[in-house]
Amino acid sequence: MRDRGLPFVLMAPAFLIVLATTLYPLSYSLITSFREWRLTRQRRPGDFVGIDNYTGAFTNHEFLSSLWVTTVFVTISVVATVVLAMALALLLRRTGRLHTFVRIILILPFAMSPALIGVSFRFMFNPEFGVLAQGLGAIFPFLKGVAWLADPRFAMGILIVTDVWHWVPYMTFMCLGGLTAVPRETEEAARIDGASGFRILWEIILPQMRGVLVVVAILKTIFALKMFDQVVTLTGGGPGASTETLAYFVFKVGFHWFDMGQASAMAWILTAIMMVISIWYVRLLMSERKLVTA
Amino acid sequence: MAEVRLENVVKRYGGFTALPKLDLHVNEGEFLVLLGPSGCGKTTTMRLIAGLEEITEGDLLIGGERVNDKEPKDRDIAMVFQNYGLYPHMSVADNIGYPLKLRGLGKSERMAQVRKVAEKVELGELLDRRPSELSGGQRQRVALARAIVRRPQLFLMDEPLSNLDAKLRVTMRAELKHMHHEMGITTVYVTHDQMEAMTLASRIVVMNKGRIVQLDTPERIYSEPADLFVADFIGSPSMNLIHGQIAGGTFTAEGISLPVSAPDRAKVVLGIRPEDLQISDASTAPIKAPIFALELTGESTLVTLRAGATQLCARGAADFRAKMDDTCGLAPRPGGRIHLFDPESGLRLPS
Repeated sequence: MRDRGLPFVLMAPAFLIVLATTLYPLSYSLITSFREWRLTRQRRPGDFVGIDNYTGAFTNHEFLSSLWVTTVFVTISVVATVVLAMALALLLRRTGRLHTFVRIILILPFAMSPALIGVSFRFMFNPEFGVLAQGLGAIFPFLKGVAWLADPRFAMGILIVTDVWHWVPYMTFMCLGGLTAVPRETEEAARIDGASGFRILWEIILPQMRGVLVVVAILKTIFALKMFDQVVTLTGGGPGASTETLAYFVFKVGFHWFDMGQASAMAWILTAIMMVISIWYVRLLMSERKLVTA
Repeated sequence: MAEVRLENVVKRYGGFTALPKLDLHVNEGEFLVLLGPSGCGKTTTMRLIAGLEEITEGDLLIGGERVNDKEPKDRDIAMVFQNYGLYPHMSVADNIGYPLKLRGLGKSERMAQVRKVAEKVELGELLDRRPSELSGGQRQRVALARAIVRRPQLFLMDEPLSNLDAKLRVTMRAELKHMHHEMGITTVYVTHDQMEAMTLASRIVVMNKGRIVQLDTPERIYSEPADLFVADFIGSPSMNLIHGQIAGGTFTAEGISLPVSAPDRAKVVLGIRPEDLQISDASTAPIKAPIFALELTGESTLVTLRAGATQLCARGAADFRAKMDDTCGLAPRPGGRIHLFDPESGLRLPS
């Protein structure tokens, strides 16, 4: 006879682990976000304050500024990553020794720790001894002696560059996978039908890649919204607050200013933003599925 | 409409030579079929004409103009692919209209032409569907419609019927033939199916290992195969090929003693088609052997005898009945053709 309880017993450990590592912290932070809890004043969570922490977030101009910084960062970094990954995938599509070699070394940027990437780019853009700062100065004399990371626009630019550099290889592999699913014959048919290379890309290949590109964009958006490591090791959020992303600001509120209630509320706002964007992307994906399989 | 000329065309992929040296002349308005087993170079030849592959050496002329360095889009050709090559993200109407769109035709004019062509291939009701919602035969029609919508000077078809079921293949074959008759556009057609080649072609090019083995009308390919390869490849069931010798006007092999009008030869291959053999009295027949298999095909019975190491197939009457392993006699049908080949070179011997 089959013991009907057995499956539950077998599932229990996995279930408990998920509960302990995901659900508990999630719900704890959600509850905390409705309470007053400043670690400088009290060791235990204090009174419930309703949505004060949330209204507090939206009236905090530093929070709003980090929201803006994040928006700029995410938009540019996602667009640049998707475009570059797709372009690289098209270049690496053919098989050959060189292509295989490039594909292999493409792994390297992705294998590096983001924190380490921040540190190395900070070195490379050091105006005194940084190789990139020196190199750019040598090629473009007007860039000589620029204090790269001390200029808000350049700092943001470099932060985006490090992130794109880190993510493009992985996304290239995803695009390569998607490209192999595009039948060669559709391209050849288009060549014979009279399409130029650009129109083949735009009207034949990219529409067939839509599903993969949406997934690439979702993943990249989520990772970009969470941008934290390089902010810490590259810019420290500066100069001023010009590279202070949401994730970094939440960290600051929680662990520099010790306002756990406020930090939890902000973290949940970030989560809500991610959820809205993900749902929108998934809708996009579904509408495409419908087109293809209906 | 145009003629196509391949002159000393060579195609190499790295160290591999797909086509050692090809000369081919496709006449204006003809339906030329490239026939051969897989890997014989027929598809490569077509892709060279299309411009999907680069020619290593030699010249390709379409309508008298050298087009080696022209892009496929500038060659004014249309191609139907084995897997149709339809654009999955476009509707049937957009698929058919795409070549016109690329030529800058306005939407209303485009749709008018698309509708006209769609009617012709009976797709009028399906214009809003996507290729994934169509059956194999319907997809094939879309591919065909897309090819004919702009009246190119040359049609290329790469095994267009091989993904269809047997019944549909026969119907589409007739439609293709009718379409060619109606439009009169020069067509190059690739297939490995000899039946397709025989029924469709004005002329057949039989290819093997990158070379043209025989180029002729279907009738002559069938009645006068140039060598053993063609003899074996064309016809179903294929020609009986018997190794033996000729002495004193008689061909002899195990179980066979057949009068032929040819000079003596120590080694020869005699070929005779199953339809050129008839069942005859076992006591006097030139071929006597036990029955190996009997297969009723409906309109006839295929009788296979085993004479020594060779199997001999003959087409007998549908009502022919005999027991397996019984000895049966075969004789050439009056007027039936006997072919002789050199076993070394494989070439046909003059008779």
